[in-house]
Amino acid sequence: MKGEIADLSRRAPPADTTVDILVIGSGCGGATAAWDLARAGREVLVLEEGGDRTGLDLTQRDSIEYDDLYMDRAGRATEDLAITILQGRALGGGGVINCSDVVPIHDPVLRVWQRRFGLTGFSPEALAPYTKRALEDLHANEPREDQLNRNNLLLRDGARHLGWRGEVMKHNRVGCSGLGTCMIGCPADAKMGPRFVAIPGALKAGARFWLRARAVRIEDASAELKTVRVRRLDPTGHREVDGFTVRARRVILAANAIASAQLLIRSGIGNEHVGRHLSLQPQLPVTAIFDEEVRFFRGIPQAYAVTQFEDLDHAQHGFWGFRVEAISGTPGIVASLLPRLGHEGKELMRLYPRMASVLCLLPDEPKGEVRVERSGRLRVRYALDEEQKARFRVAAKAAARLFFAAGAREVMVPCVPLIALRSPDDLPLIDAMSLEPCTAPLVSAHQQGAVRFSTSARDGGADPSGQVWGTRGIHVLDSSGFPTSASSHTMAPIIAVSHFLAAQIS
Amino acid sequence: MQDGFSILSRRRLLRGSLAAGGFLFMGGLGLWALRGRASRVEGLRSLTDHEHRTLSALARALFPSGGAFAFGSEQAGLERAFDGFLADEPEWNRADLKRALFLLEYGPVIFEARPRTFSNLSEAERLAHFQRWSESRTLIRRQVALAFRKFLSLVFYDQPAAWPGIGYPGPLTLAGR
Repeated sequence: MKGEIADLSRRAPPADTTVDILVIGSGCGGATAAWDLARAGREVLVLEEGGDRTGLDLTQRDSIEYDDLYMDRAGRATEDLAITILQGRALGGGGVINCSDVVPIHDPVLRVWQRRFGLTGFSPEALAPYTKRALEDLHANEPREDQLNRNNLLLRDGARHLGWRGEVMKHNRVGCSGLGTCMIGCPADAKMGPRFVAIPGALKAGARFWLRARAVRIEDASAELKTVRVRRLDPTGHREVDGFTVRARRVILAANAIASAQLLIRSGIGNEHVGRHLSLQPQLPVTAIFDEEVRFFRGIPQAYAVTQFEDLDHAQHGFWGFRVEAISGTPGIVASLLPRLGHEGKELMRLYPRMASVLCLLPDEPKGEVRVERSGRLRVRYALDEEQKARFRVAAKAAARLFFAAGAREVMVPCVPLIALRSPDDLPLIDAMSLEPCTAPLVSAHQQGAVRFSTSARDGGADPSGQVWGTRGIHVLDSSGFPTSASSHTMAPIIAVSHFLAAQIS
Repeated sequence: MQDGFSILSRRRLLRGSLAAGGFLFMGGLGLWALRGRASRVEGLRSLTDHEHRTLSALARALFPSGGAFAFGSEQAGLERAFDGFLADEPEWNRADLKRALFLLEYGPVIFEARPRTFSNLSEAERLAHFQRWSESRTLIRRQVALAFRKFLSLVFYDQPAAWPGIGYPGPLTLAGR
């Protein structure tokens, strides 16, 4: 079988397609599974809702790329709009729009999965070869000193002044040009994510990829041959054009931690745990103004992380506490997170070259829920509890201390009303941050759970091999199965687990 | 006793319904009268003329011309961008966002008992009104404010004409490509 990438917005698929394995989603989980299974001689077809966006086709423009490269045109959010949920939608999935950080699953997390959830097969020893393979796939390497932009260096300076622990994170860039637009795609094709590793590998092994194809329903879940109903999208990816069906012996869901559960729920497949136990790992930005030009819009946006307050051996969660990580962005996305408007807003954006920014990242209890209304409308329920709010305030204070230690003139927590600090003496002002919904620009980039792995149908949505309870041959091979936050960055964990589970299928 | 109570209830219900209906009718008439006329806008795909006017009034308050830099919403075409976005959205989201525009337009009347609609306020009043919504104790007002702020800010500052004013030199080009 010859591998191919076909854009269905321009070419209708053949009628009555039947395949051995249908993979839904072409990101870290789906592309990896497709690669392994095709190499094992299986006939594999992958459906992807997004298009194939590479090289100079990527415009580095916010309004074009957030519209195309993200689920729901980057408008996906919890149902109260409190947390923006960022998820990739392109051939290569989240690997196209992430910040390229490579942080594998920590062993204590796996031990929590074993102890708390009975997932004895997920031992550090069992996962080790697959993690090694994931790091090889990603060409994981440490950014060179000259690749750290001023934003990252200021964060490191602050940590060093305070004597706090931090690290330069490994990444998967090779040949980075320092464009600074990682979150809206890399025109230099420097990210060694699924698009440039697993997908070419899968193509070579004969896998087919159909783009602009949205799976909307799985039927005959227990039958030998399942029917998947698919909607073909127009070239913009926004409108459904018509429909077709694919029949498959196995269906592998790797559409992301929300969409995989969404498809199961729409199809009436699975038990009461499907859609529950969602972790959003919410993040809060904190911004600072320096006297010097920082120009955080150039170079690697996210390379340095302060790990002083991260607990990697938490008895209940494995990964807990918080991290403070550098972040930057293009003008549109940065402005959209800042609450000043009118002439004041323009004055603030005039300081854009002197801005520095971090994200406070909080691992969380998997308490969110994915629901689907009768109309097909997705609802994601998630509410911050008082413990999280308190942890966010501590994290925001830590971020402010880091910035002041690095010489910031002003630090802003961009909630409403805006909290502006002129010195460390103002830190108590952060206590006023209510974190009520829609008062702070919270984002989620690392969704996990919603079809969690479990040893019994009473405790989760899928068995330890990823097979959805109550089905025969429907598997989840993305972060949907993770019972807790696996890591601060999910690309390497998803690839490792996908290799691990695909080996059991093939 | 039972019959008498039922009759009384029905009468009360009828009177109440008529009063409520009349109140709603008068209220609706009042809102309709307050909104005034909106200029005809050619080529809109999803917004009505009145919705376009509300959005335009909002955009001008959030991104006024002049001040820190000259470029403002009048040159940015934010209303067209939103109209195009809306036209390609699923029906439920289009309906939600149109409801949000309605709420914004009649917000001064509904929430503050002022006899003026949003687009009839001065620019400074519109900005102050919007900021009160951002900080409101009512979730729906915060949601409306957040949704429009995010969309309009992203589109406004993505425009090359805004970049000189904020010191952004624009995307780098790749050597040799």
